[in-house]
Amino acid sequence: MNTKKGFIYLVLLISLLGLLGCVGESEPEHNEDGQLIVKLGKQTATNPKLPEGDTFEDNAYMRLAEEVLDIELVNEFEANGEDYDRQVALAISSGELPDIMQVSQEEFEELYENDLIADLTDVFEEHASDYIQELYDSYEINPLEDTTFDGRIYGLPAAVNVTPPHMIWIRQDWIDQLQLDFDADGDKLITLEELESLALTFIEEDPGNTGNPVGIPLAHWLNEPGYGGAFTMTTIGSVFGSYPRNWIEDADGNITNGSLTPETKAALAQIKDWFDRGILDPQFGTRSWDDIMALAVNGQTGIVTGAWHMPDWGLSNVKEMHPDVVFDAYTLVDDQNKVNIASQSPGGSIAVVRKDFSNPEILIKLINLFYDTLKNEPNLEEVYPDIYQYQVLDVDGAVRPLNMEILGATSELDHYAEIRDAINGEIEVSDIPDARNQSIATSIMEYSDNPEEASTAAWALYHSRMKGLELGQYLIDHDHFEWVNPVFFGSTPAIEQYYGNLLSMEEEEFIKIVTGVESIDHFDTFVEMWHSQGGDEILAEIEAEIAE
Amino acid sequence: MQQRKRTASKRLTNPNLTYHLMILPGIIFLLIFNYTPMFGLVMAFQDYVPAKGIFGSDFVGFQHFAYMFSLPSIGRVFTNTIVIAGGKIIFNTLLAIVFAILLNEVRVRWLKKSVQTIVYLPNFLSWVVLASVVVNMFNLDGNVNQILESFGLGPFNFLGSNQLFRPLIIGTDVWKSFGFNSIVYLAAITSIDPGLHEAASIDGANWWRRIWHVTLPGMLPIILLLAILNLPNILNGGFDQIYNLYSPVVYQSGDIIDTYVYRVGLMGRDYSFGTAVGLFKSIIGLVLILSANQTAKKFTERQLF
Repeated sequence: MNTKKGFIYLVLLISLLGLLGCVGESEPEHNEDGQLIVKLGKQTATNPKLPEGDTFEDNAYMRLAEEVLDIELVNEFEANGEDYDRQVALAISSGELPDIMQVSQEEFEELYENDLIADLTDVFEEHASDYIQELYDSYEINPLEDTTFDGRIYGLPAAVNVTPPHMIWIRQDWIDQLQLDFDADGDKLITLEELESLALTFIEEDPGNTGNPVGIPLAHWLNEPGYGGAFTMTTIGSVFGSYPRNWIEDADGNITNGSLTPETKAALAQIKDWFDRGILDPQFGTRSWDDIMALAVNGQTGIVTGAWHMPDWGLSNVKEMHPDVVFDAYTLVDDQNKVNIASQSPGGSIAVVRKDFSNPEILIKLINLFYDTLKNEPNLEEVYPDIYQYQVLDVDGAVRPLNMEILGATSELDHYAEIRDAINGEIEVSDIPDARNQSIATSIMEYSDNPEEASTAAWALYHSRMKGLELGQYLIDHDHFEWVNPVFFGSTPAIEQYYGNLLSMEEEEFIKIVTGVESIDHFDTFVEMWHSQGGDEILAEIEAEIAE
Repeated sequence: MQQRKRTASKRLTNPNLTYHLMILPGIIFLLIFNYTPMFGLVMAFQDYVPAKGIFGSDFVGFQHFAYMFSLPSIGRVFTNTIVIAGGKIIFNTLLAIVFAILLNEVRVRWLKKSVQTIVYLPNFLSWVVLASVVVNMFNLDGNVNQILESFGLGPFNFLGSNQLFRPLIIGTDVWKSFGFNSIVYLAAITSIDPGLHEAASIDGANWWRRIWHVTLPGMLPIILLLAILNLPNILNGGFDQIYNLYSPVVYQSGDIIDTYVYRVGLMGRDYSFGTAVGLFKSIIGLVLILSANQTAKKFTERQLF
């Protein structure tokens, strides 16, 4: 009797578990037309400007790729920013990856070590166009080196040499409104003192009429890799010769981390001084990225730090709220009139293929199509009318199967030079080889002709190119850059084990110093802690790797 | 043995079988979502690599626990958890008792009901929502600081100060839940024999005396029981509240075990270490539950299991 009852329970339990099990059954690899189904991990953007009816999964770019490669593209997941990272983290921890997705360098290394991604060496050599190979080769350090282990390529990295410097975007309309004598010589190179007094004036006068103006807001992480970080202290550090989070040689030729140098201590002391005097945001540390952007959008602050492309995705929100807003790009210089800067590796997001995916060459073909064929098609309007239409509408490139760029070493400034020549009337717009740049030049002219009536898109393109990239070009032309070359870019076992924790500690200790919880001399304690919590092991491994 | 077996099978006769089948989905739910994940605790003793899975990852023994105790931040995390959770338990209990006693004295029925509803309400709102309200009220240009400034005080950076963050967390939590917590105490008060109050009045006891000598002693068993049963919660600082309110500035005073495990284990993808910290917390929690159960038995002659 009893066993029989137990048996019934058991059957019920098993059938229920069986039902749950059915959910995870794998889908077929081909659709009804016999086309291969390729699943993507899709990194999206907040405002893609897609025409009505089109989606991230079904748009002109995706349809073109499906037609040319005779496949069906399906977005396994779509997410943006931190949410995308979370999706990737979940995909890695569950071991169920999409066929093609983009990951960070850190995630890439984890995927490689877990043997979850495909070796792309052979398909890359066989299928990648000469143009694509040349793009990668144009860099001093080939970005592919970051994704190559033992001579085998496991991922295709984005390649963009973000044009320095790290900039300070300032509300020029406020400067005009208050009739300030700011940057009298007009070279856009300013000193710490000038920035300080401007911030104090903005706080005092409150030109945004918000009632609670904020001087200079910075994000609580203060630093991030590269010189593109929005709301980071990179440009302030450059005045002192501080290069946080770069592996550099110190004065004695020993390898160290830029976060540990006396120069970084001096830069922090400066920021702490600003905090004490109310020039830095008094709520520094508690604000999220969005909160800081909101300060700019509300008109509470008119001073934000970031890269040349900031108007395209960030400051355009300020323009939406305040139609008359005008920004100008400045950068801080030291007493020698120099911008001190650590060179960066050009890589970024990395496209990878799931290990057991049957057709890894599809990734290479996608890259050929988007970063060679479409870029170099002289007659886009007739050959790919849908794509041409998208570029006229300024649809975000994020809707393409891969949300990344592969450009040559100097592309950003080359493109800028072409656009500038067209605007100055030295060449015709139609002489610009790249269709995207043609439409950018047209938009910029639209803005120059009639700034009051121009669209936000034209405003943003004008600001990012004619002010942002213009400043970068100016610094090169007038020899204002003082370059420092980091000695190491990759990763080591100790970096994987300890560096994440060291970065969190750095962030916390720097906040304590700036907000006055600890005195500036606490920096020396931080350096000791850094060395003892795995930092020494990292430095030893880097030295060993360089010695090889 | 034979005897017991017979009664067991007897219990499974028809009417009981229906009831057991009704429990079954709940039991299955419990097995799948509460018991099965426990096997994942093995990860704490492994160098867990998602690709290799639980069965393929290498065992490293107590390495993660050793690393945990070597980190200077771990002591801070446990201290914060205990201080915040302890503060919440103490103030929630005290305020709920006082509120229950006062509310019981309100004789106007509609007033009593409406006050009750108003103080219960916040308990049903999620911290995700409430956090943005708290942030807006307590940041540097929020209402609270505006009021304080009109008295010539402040401004205080509540969300960015290591002195004020814990009081803020405890205070807002007590505000959210004291009303709901007072329900049990109200019930305890109503169960006190009114005859005792009458007798005390006749003996000349004033209101204060009656509360002190009749109401409170009558509530004492319930107060003790609830306090003891709350003891295991001393390690639950309240993830959702703190996660939505904290920032790196106040990690010093506000980072609790759960937020730490989330950051290190899930976002930092250090699964094994996160599991080790979580397991350590669970072990302390288990010890506390067992001792609380024993204490409850000793003082109130009731126990959970």
